[in-house]
Amino acid sequence: MSLQTYGWLVLLFPLAGTVLIALSWRLPSKLHGYLGTLAIALSFVSALGALSELRDRGAEERQVVTVAWDYASTVGVDAQLSLLLDPLSVFMALVVSGVSALIHLYSVSYMDSDRGYTRFFAYLNYFVFSMLLLVLAGNFFFLIVGWAFVGAASYLLISFWYRRTTATAAGIKAFVINVVGDVGLVLGTYFIFKQTGSLDFLKAFGGAEEIARGDGDLVAGCLLLLVGAFAKSAQVPLHTWLPDAMEGPTPVSALIHAATMVTAGVYLIARMHPFFEQAPVAADVGAILGCATLLIAATIGLVVTDLKRVIAYSTMSQIGYMVMGVCSAAYAAGLFHLMTHAFFKALLFMAAGSVIAAMAGEQNLDRMGGFRRAMPFTFGCMVIGGLALAGVPPFAGFFSKDEIISLVIAREDWHVVLGILGFAGSFLTAVYTWRMIFRAFFNEPVEQARELERGHLYHAPEHTNPATGEVEDTDVGFPGPEHHIAEREWSMKLAMGLLAVGAIVGGGLQVPEVTSELHNFLEPTFHDSRFYEELEPSGTMTWGGLALGALLALGGIALAYRLWVQDRARPAAIRARFAAVHRFLFNKWYFDELIDTLVVRPFAWCGRFARDVFERVVINGLVVGGPAGAVRAGSAAVRAVQSGFLRYYAALLLVGVTGLGLYFLLAAS
Amino acid sequence: MSVEWYLVVSALVFCIGAGGILVRRNPLVILLCLELMLNAGNLALVAFARAHGNQDGHIFALVVMVVAACEVAVGLGLIVAIYRRRLPIDVDELRELQG
Repeated sequence: MSLQTYGWLVLLFPLAGTVLIALSWRLPSKLHGYLGTLAIALSFVSALGALSELRDRGAEERQVVTVAWDYASTVGVDAQLSLLLDPLSVFMALVVSGVSALIHLYSVSYMDSDRGYTRFFAYLNYFVFSMLLLVLAGNFFFLIVGWAFVGAASYLLISFWYRRTTATAAGIKAFVINVVGDVGLVLGTYFIFKQTGSLDFLKAFGGAEEIARGDGDLVAGCLLLLVGAFAKSAQVPLHTWLPDAMEGPTPVSALIHAATMVTAGVYLIARMHPFFEQAPVAADVGAILGCATLLIAATIGLVVTDLKRVIAYSTMSQIGYMVMGVCSAAYAAGLFHLMTHAFFKALLFMAAGSVIAAMAGEQNLDRMGGFRRAMPFTFGCMVIGGLALAGVPPFAGFFSKDEIISLVIAREDWHVVLGILGFAGSFLTAVYTWRMIFRAFFNEPVEQARELERGHLYHAPEHTNPATGEVEDTDVGFPGPEHHIAEREWSMKLAMGLLAVGAIVGGGLQVPEVTSELHNFLEPTFHDSRFYEELEPSGTMTWGGLALGALLALGGIALAYRLWVQDRARPAAIRARFAAVHRFLFNKWYFDELIDTLVVRPFAWCGRFARDVFERVVINGLVVGGPAGAVRAGSAAVRAVQSGFLRYYAALLLVGVTGLGLYFLLAAS
Repeated sequence: MSVEWYLVVSALVFCIGAGGILVRRNPLVILLCLELMLNAGNLALVAFARAHGNQDGHIFALVVMVVAACEVAVGLGLIVAIYRRRLPIDVDELRELQG
C-alpha cells in the first residue's frame, strides 16, 4: 500500500471504532474494550506502515500531501480534506497511536466495573481520532478542527463521572480554557493567512521566508498561536485546568493529560517553526514562559499531596521543557522528550492508577505508604518511570531532557540562563518524583497495603469522592464498585510492561555522539530551519551537561530519600519553618485566585452589568418597551371610544357627517 | 310653491328625528325617529324630482320605503327578542358590545 493509503487508514480505524462502539452499545460491554483497543492497535500498525513507506523514499520526497476532496476552492483559501505526511506527522501519529493502544489495553481491565464502560471506549476512540486528525492535518482548517475535537474529547473524558460536581466543574474549566486557546489559534491563523496568502501548510511555510524577520503581523500571529499552544499544553498562565483535569479516570489522565493531548502545543510550535524562526520575539516569549512553567510546576509538585496531581504538575513541568526546547529551535530534542515523556508519564499514571485502586479510590499521599511489598510489579513500574522522569542514566528521560538543556545553552546569550534554570528544574523533578514514590511505597505499610499483602484487595465501606469526601453511588456516572490492580490483571500488566520497556530503552534513539536516529529522521520536516543543523552543543557542554544532569537527578533522589524515608520529622519541620512559602506553593502560586480576580470576576461583573443595566433598562425598557408602550397607550385611547352607548355612536356619526357636509359645502362655494 | 319650502320641512323633520335618536332611550321610539329621518330624505327626493320634472327621485323614494320596511321588520324583531329575554328595553343598558 502507498504512503497515502496508510495515512488515511491511521485516521479511519479510530473513527470506525468510535462509531461502531457507540452504535453497538447493546452488545456485551467487555467486547467494546477489545474493539476499541483493536481499532487503535490497527491504527498504530498503519502508522508503522506509513513509517516504513516514508523511510523508503528519498529525503526530498518525504513530504507528501494527500487530498481526499475539496470543500471549497477559492483564491488562496483552499478548504481541502488534506493530510500532510512527513516525518513529523508520522512520528506524532506513531507516538499517539502507540501509547493510546497500550492505554486502551490498560483500560479494558481498569474500567471493567464502571457502568459507563461502553461510553468510555467510544470517547477514548474519539479522542484518538481527533488527536490523529490534529497531527496529520495538512492545512490550518483541519488543524483547527482536530484542535477543537481534542478539546471536546478532553471535556467529555474529564467529566466522565458526570455525577461528581467536582468532575463536571473541572471539565468546564478545561473546556473554557481550551476554547481561549482555540480562539488564539484561529486568530493566529488569520494573521498567517494575511501574510502568506495560503492556509495550506507547505504553501504557507514556503511563503514564510519572504516575510521580513520580526514583521509585526507575523509576531502577532505567532504570539496568538502560542496562546493556542499554551492553553492546550497547560503552560503558564493558561495551565490551571490541568491539575483539575485529574478528576477524570486515571487512564484518561495517562492518555490525554500526560502522553498525548497536552503535547499538541509542542507539536504546533514545532510544526510552525518557519514562522517562529521569522518571528524571534514570539519564540523568545515562548521559551521564557516554558522555562517559567517548568519551574513553577516543579515547585508546586513538591508540596501537593494528591498522588495524581503530583504527576500532573510534573507533566506541566516536562512540557515546559519541551516548549522551551522547540521555542529555542531544539526541535528534535523537544520532540524526543515528547516521545520519552509519553512513555514514562503514561507508565507513572498507570502505576498511580494501580495504587489508587489498591487504596479503593483514595488519592491522598498522606494516607499511603508501604506498598512496596504488596504491589511489587506496580512498584517496579513506578521506579522505572520515576528514574526516567528524574533523568537517571540510562533511562529515556536522561538523554532527552539533557539534550534540550544543552541545545538551549548552545543558543548562547540569555538562553544560557534558561538552560541553567532547566538544570535547577531537573533537580526539583527528581525530588518531587521520588517524594511521591517514597511516600507511597516505602515506610510502614498502611492498613490497605497490609490487607493486600494477605491477598485481599481493600474495599472502602462507602464510595467517596477523593476530592471532597462526599459519599457517592456506584451507578452510571460514578466509578464502579470494583477496583483493579496491575498485579491481578494481565492487560494492565502487559500495557505497563511494554511502556516500561519504552521508558528504559527509548533514550537509545538519540544518544549524543552515538545515535541520532530521530534527528536524522525528522530532518526533511525541518530542512528549512536555520538552526536545525547548525545548533550543536560543544563537546564539553554535551558531556558536562549529561554528567551534571545525572548528578542532579541522583542528588535529588538522595535528598528525597533522606527527607521522606530516613528523617521523616524533617519535612514537617521545614514546612513549619517556611510556612509562608509552603502556603504559597500549596495554593499553587495563587494562579487560580489571580485568574479569578483578573478575568473571571471582571467578566462576571460585565455580565451582571449587561443584565441589570443594558438588558433590563436599555433593551427591555427602551428598545422593546418603548414601541410596546406606545401601542398600548394608543390602543387604550381607542378602546375608550368603544363605550357601547348606542346614542353616543349616533351622535358621533351625526357630528361627523354634518362636519363633512359642511366642509364640502364650504369647499365648493 | 318653490322647492325651498319642501326642503325646509324635510330638514325640520330630519332634525326632529335625529334629535329624537340622541335623546330618547326606548328602542321603539328610536326606531320611530329613524323612520322620521328616512322619510325626511324621501320628502327631499320627491321635492327635487318635482322641481326637475324628472321621475328618478320617485323611484329612489320607493326604494327607500322598501328598505325602511325591511329595517323596521328587523328592528322590531330585535326588540321583541330583547323583550322575550326580559332584558331592559333601554339602549343605554344594552351596551355589552363594547370594545
